[in-house]
Amino acid sequence: MSDGDISFDNVSRFYGEVLGVNRVTLNIPPGITSLVGPNGSGKTTLMNLMTGLVRPTRGTIEVLGLAPTDSQRLFRQVGYSTQFDSFPKGITGFEFIYSFLRLFGYSSEESKKLAAQAIDQVHLGEAAERQIAGYSKGMRQRIKLAQAIAHDPKVLVLDEPLNGLDPLVRAETIALFRKFAGEGRHVIVSSHVLHEVDLISDQVILLSSGYVVAEGQIHSLRSEIQEHPMQILIRCDRPGALASRVFEQDHVVEAQLLADRSGLVVKTRDADKFYRMLNHLALDGIKIEGVAPVDDNVNSVYEYLIGGEEASK
Amino acid sequence: MNMQEMVQIVAIIRLELRKNFLSRRVIWVYVLAFAPVLLYIANSIYAPREQARLAAIAARHPVAAADLSSLKNGDSLDDIIKKLGEPYEQHTGRRRVEGGRTNERAWYRYTDGQSDVSLMFVNGVLRRLERDDPETLPLISAIFATIFRFYYLRLAVFFGCVGIFTNLFRGEMLDKSLHFYLLTPMRREVLLAGKYLSGLIATGVIFVSSTALQWVAMLWQFKSAEVAAFLAAQGWSHLFAYLGVTLLACAGYGAIFMAAGLVFRNPVVPAAIVLLWESANLFLPVALKKLSLIFYLQSLSPVVAAPDNSMPPQLMLLISEAAPTPSLVALGCLFIVTTVVIVYSALRARNLEINYSVD
Repeated sequence: MSDGDISFDNVSRFYGEVLGVNRVTLNIPPGITSLVGPNGSGKTTLMNLMTGLVRPTRGTIEVLGLAPTDSQRLFRQVGYSTQFDSFPKGITGFEFIYSFLRLFGYSSEESKKLAAQAIDQVHLGEAAERQIAGYSKGMRQRIKLAQAIAHDPKVLVLDEPLNGLDPLVRAETIALFRKFAGEGRHVIVSSHVLHEVDLISDQVILLSSGYVVAEGQIHSLRSEIQEHPMQILIRCDRPGALASRVFEQDHVVEAQLLADRSGLVVKTRDADKFYRMLNHLALDGIKIEGVAPVDDNVNSVYEYLIGGEEASK
Repeated sequence: MNMQEMVQIVAIIRLELRKNFLSRRVIWVYVLAFAPVLLYIANSIYAPREQARLAAIAARHPVAAADLSSLKNGDSLDDIIKKLGEPYEQHTGRRRVEGGRTNERAWYRYTDGQSDVSLMFVNGVLRRLERDDPETLPLISAIFATIFRFYYLRLAVFFGCVGIFTNLFRGEMLDKSLHFYLLTPMRREVLLAGKYLSGLIATGVIFVSSTALQWVAMLWQFKSAEVAAFLAAQGWSHLFAYLGVTLLACAGYGAIFMAAGLVFRNPVVPAAIVLLWESANLFLPVALKKLSLIFYLQSLSPVVAAPDNSMPPQLMLLISEAAPTPSLVALGCLFIVTTVVIVYSALRARNLEINYSVD
């Protein structure tokens, strides 16, 4: 752990009798980190804890070496777009960003400049002078994002930031997250949409009922789940021949031919060994047209660790 | 407090003022504040017209002011007609009383062009005399003092502060927009100061301007020379005292209701308790009177208004009037109460969490 990370040390938070999160010990490095879990799993509580909106019942939290209670220094480094879809009444998008930048102590000119930049980054320039009350759900998401990034924070905390965005804006927003992460910043995102988490995350934190079930890079997490062998789809010209060859490997537990005879799905306990073996088979004359992991993704990791029932919540 | 925090306070005030002045929640605050202005305007329109009407009647039915003043209960109807002549308006009637007897009743009205006098006779004897004198500056000044004490401070300013100050925090929790403030690099104490000042500015502007307008409306019916003399004698000092007391009331009640909005999920309950306490002040023993804001505000008012004469006599017996506290002491007490409540609010704000589902 370094001062450049976000750390939770044995953190618990209870709301009266209700558990928010329990005994969370985490270290979040720079890059895009996704918090994944069903409703009530503790994603928002974790985000609120790292931004000081709620205090831990037990344990300590540090964000870039700062305590979340040190709001004066913390929020120069952190921007948080919350899940709350509400805004101060009667103001335009520009006024919203500008007014809160003034609270950061920026001069009027600086605030105007930064507000305009942030609004441009989320492509809301044309709507900037309109009242937020008249914005669509997607526009409100974007103006919240603009507010979170306007002061150029090193840590971006985003609660369900892709909700309500159309596909084009979704892609632009993901590109923005990537840009931020590429600059060595922390981007912490919570999401229900697992395939998006797959697309954008450098690492994931899986939560269930207030506990951290797993954390790390998706591929590493998948590899560690021994009770569910990795499934790999291979498209080739002679799937029968390939099946007999792969069964010679002790790490292969199952091979199933596709109904259209265009390939097969192999279950293996050691994917790396399997990929190496596949290279040799290709050299032996079997024409391999494509190889793709079937369950090396967040969805599968989530389902294996938390269970299909919760995943469907 | 450093320069940056001053800038932050100004930024908060800018954001809050729009809400404090323009949100739908405060429409009734304007109604409470400016209702007396309308009342004084109506009076200023009505009173000169009434005077003109009486003058016209007096021209047709001349009556000497001295004769009108000499009337007393027990005078006979015949003597009064002999002295004053026929009234400009009269009604008669009969009323059956115990023992099967019937009383002959008559109502006569006279005017000397200034005062309007109503007389009620029973069986030819004057039993009741009601005198409606023309409005004078001292009289209307006393009326203002009564309205100021019993309506304006106790109800209008009080509920205005409830409406604006409780919503500074509680309103934003209900709207789920308070977190925007808590996600900025700002001490919670600075947020509290900014919000309190914005509430004070809003209530100050609304209620102080209403007080001033009430004076303008109240004096409007009088001749300018008369008004100038009144203002030069005592008017200006009274007006400034009322304006100051209004602002102090906003500061004191504002601090209490901002704290209520921070501490209680439903600030109506503490508001009702404070209202009950402040209203009961008139009947409290002297020692307990001093535990209310209204006592010190009343002490700073330039005219001590008497309790309403229409109050039932049983209640009048319960009233204990205490001598006003010296101005400096009253100011000091108001300052201490306000400061203590604001410091307490700051401590609460320091530990404030965002948990809208609970709020």
